[in-house]
Amino acid sequence: MRSHDAADASRHRAATCGGCGLVCDDITAVLDEHGGLERLDRTCPLGHAWFAERLAPAPPVARIDGREAELDAAVDEAAAILATARAPLVYGLGRTTCEAQRAAVALAEAIGATIDPAGPLLDGASGLAYQARGASTATLGEVRDRAEIVVVWRADPVVTHPRLLERLRLPHPTRTLVVVDGRRTATAERADAFLEIPAERDVETLWTLRALVREAPPAPSGASQQPLDDLAARLRACRNVAILHHVRGHVEALGLHALVRDLCSVTHAVTVTLRHEANAAGAEDVLAWQTGYPAAVSFAGGHPRSSPGELSAPAVLDRGEADAALVVASDPLEHLPAVAAERLRAIPVVSIDAGDTATARAARIAFTTGAPGVHRPGVVHRLDGVPIGLRAVLESDRPGDEEVLAAIAGRIARRGGDAA
Amino acid sequence: MKLRIAGGRVYDPANGVAGEVRDVCLDDGKVVPDLPADAMRIDARGMVVMPGGVDIHAHIAGPKVNAARRLLPEEHRADVHDRSALMRSGTGGTVPSTFVTGYRYALLGYTTVVEAAAPPLAARHVLSELRDTPMIDALFLVLLGNNVALFDLIRRDPARVRDAIAWWLEATGGYGVKLVNPGGVERWKRGIGKVTSLDDEVAGLTPRRVVETIASAVHELGLPHPVHVHCNNLGVAGNWRTTMDTLATIEGRRAHLAHLQFHAYGGRPGGRMRSRAPDIAEYLGAHPEFSADVGQVMFGDATTMTADAPVSERLRDITGGKWVNADTEVETGCGIVPFTYREKNYVHALQWGIGLELFLLSRDPWRLVLSTDHPNGGSFLSYPRLIRLLMDRDFRNEQLRLANRRAIERTVLFDDLDREYTLEEIAIVTRAGPARLLGLRDKGHLGAGADADVTVYDERADREEMFATPRFVIKGGRVVVRDGDLVEALAGDLLRVAAPYDPAVEDVLRDRFEERYTVQFENYPVREPWLLEPARRVPAGRPA
Repeated sequence: MRSHDAADASRHRAATCGGCGLVCDDITAVLDEHGGLERLDRTCPLGHAWFAERLAPAPPVARIDGREAELDAAVDEAAAILATARAPLVYGLGRTTCEAQRAAVALAEAIGATIDPAGPLLDGASGLAYQARGASTATLGEVRDRAEIVVVWRADPVVTHPRLLERLRLPHPTRTLVVVDGRRTATAERADAFLEIPAERDVETLWTLRALVREAPPAPSGASQQPLDDLAARLRACRNVAILHHVRGHVEALGLHALVRDLCSVTHAVTVTLRHEANAAGAEDVLAWQTGYPAAVSFAGGHPRSSPGELSAPAVLDRGEADAALVVASDPLEHLPAVAAERLRAIPVVSIDAGDTATARAARIAFTTGAPGVHRPGVVHRLDGVPIGLRAVLESDRPGDEEVLAAIAGRIARRGGDAA
Repeated sequence: MKLRIAGGRVYDPANGVAGEVRDVCLDDGKVVPDLPADAMRIDARGMVVMPGGVDIHAHIAGPKVNAARRLLPEEHRADVHDRSALMRSGTGGTVPSTFVTGYRYALLGYTTVVEAAAPPLAARHVLSELRDTPMIDALFLVLLGNNVALFDLIRRDPARVRDAIAWWLEATGGYGVKLVNPGGVERWKRGIGKVTSLDDEVAGLTPRRVVETIASAVHELGLPHPVHVHCNNLGVAGNWRTTMDTLATIEGRRAHLAHLQFHAYGGRPGGRMRSRAPDIAEYLGAHPEFSADVGQVMFGDATTMTADAPVSERLRDITGGKWVNADTEVETGCGIVPFTYREKNYVHALQWGIGLELFLLSRDPWRLVLSTDHPNGGSFLSYPRLIRLLMDRDFRNEQLRLANRRAIERTVLFDDLDREYTLEEIAIVTRAGPARLLGLRDKGHLGAGADADVTVYDERADREEMFATPRFVIKGGRVVVRDGDLVEALAGDLLRVAAPYDPAVEDVLRDRFEERYTVQFENYPVREPWLLEPARRVPAGRPA
């Protein structure tokens, strides 16, 4: 920025990107003379689309049944729906700030809701594996500066986290990038080695690798073992291994954590989950610090109770238990399993989102908020847990997610007070 | 709000008051000399009045604590806390949720707590959790003992270290500087082994040079709390030599040693552990520039959590159970292992005994204060039991007989340690001492101008019961606990240091950041006002 003249520099804004779990914080937003966005520097295609979506003409701040409404009236109506629900569900949270997440958990508690971040559905069930055995993990800088072998396990960051390889300085002449996946992905194209293994063989593969890195004779398997022998030998021989993954199943996650733990007795090994949403990690963190559990928490009994599976959002919807839903910064109609999505369509939904989603369009009440990272500041936890302060680069008079949540909570508290 | 706490036996060691019956008057959040006779009053006759408790070393907020919470669903299921008109709900166990942490500290009569190990990169996370931890004033220490950007500076530009430390404190909202296994975590992360002596090489430095440089810088900055050191070789037989060597390295400057019990072991590395508590206590007694908290272990469940990841690796191999490791770029490591201390186990019983030896041999309670390194040696909820162990010789001897005999025979506990702590000494090791060591002039005493943080206990022969359930707790002049129940929930303050620095240091640091961190230099300092405010600043500056 020092090279620009003052007038020019005043139009350059340091910016942050919420397009994926990487939360790149080296973006520059260049404004035009009217304070609008002229250009973004260093965004990837995903980030560019993320900004564009949030700069597109937005629906009214508040809608009831799809029609524009006064903010106050919509808050009233949302409060009425949530306060009178017998078993409300709070869902989403991965694309909003920790501040809004804190407000969402407070609201969920106040109405005795079940709250489940979208993260476990979108990014896999490694939470259970973590609770069972723990994990070894690291921030991105550790992976970049120390990992001699980076294994990308069933993930395609070139597509989902376009700047990941650049930020990890991969490929690299003296470090090795290995991809394990069911097909030759875009990331595999850039790797030093590619192991083609179908997803259904994950468990068997992981257990074979465990045996190999421990130098125990592996159980015989149908597959050719040579590539795994080679990988195990490489892993054993290097000083630092990072496995970046996006496994979806509980058993697979357990296998991965177990492999890393085995590796830790011969070398230094870590895993990082390549979470898709910018603040999926924060949603689990906030829920954990307020309740002790990272996901699938019910407040129905007056205190937190967690039971992943039983109390996860798809299960609660499947069983037809939820009779109203508050969806925060998420589009479950796009990603829930079909049955759960149908159930969600059948109950009153309150949507709070900076974007115009299918869920918002179908919602009974929809709030379109100022976007974190564009119009609003706030903290998010990057996929490796590092907290990043999002910057607001543009003006907006729309309320943020946390303000709408606080307004609804306030209205509900007053209703409770009136009733008493 | 005006409040007179009338007719209690007051223990205010900082002002030389030891059990005199007198009134304590509070007005507008402060202690005042007197109040009109018609002011609201608490009848404290037959009760013991002390300043609010000050915990100098605990782990209550941030990524490490939260990683432990996520690891312990079984503990949380067994210990739930209901929502009420006043309180948020939550869960307990050795690592309670944030709200429950605040409530339980208040119910225990504690009003100020130090989070002892915050990775500066995670300051926003630490602050967010502290904002969700009600009732207590909180402050945190930033981890700088394995920061390779700072190591660069120590090697190439040592004159800048002082400014860099002040910059880091300002950037994070921190209060003081913590060193954890200085150099040893970085060495372990490099995969070149563990540090065993202060002269091992790491990143072109030695632990000795790191300790010396940073202790000097903190000393010169005149931070209200001196450098807070978790020595190298924690938990290793024979580590008392490392501890003594560390102190000898710092001599002439101030330092506070964390959880001294874990660093007071004789024997040969790899061999059977022995107690060196008498030697350590003797040395500490003779060096007024040093202080420590004990880090007592208590039999039962604990959760070990530390920036000293190599220690956690060893504990993982002992328990074979759950284990978390988390490496933070540039700055630190982190390890978590749930752990149970068993009275029949030789090592655990010896650790327990060494902690008690340190307490009972201590010559100066102002400089050897109470902690369990919560939740490493045990939960803060075990402080009342620890107080009873110190105050009640018969109870202690009973407990000694239950512990592993060979271990206790290795201590001097049965020989001639019939000391019993007085209420005055308890007031020193749980509030007046920690407040003084932290440089918190408004805490830990009841003189005019002090914060109106007061705890009132029923006088009871069973000291454990007495200290577990204070009758009244007053925070900032407001009665928050009455008859053992929480009656008002309020937010505490963040306490942070104000230490000026030469802004030129930012240019020096910026270059190192771009190379080392994956976060931009401009985005590293916490700038979110809702995280930083409200806060109270405690200025640095050499005491006159």
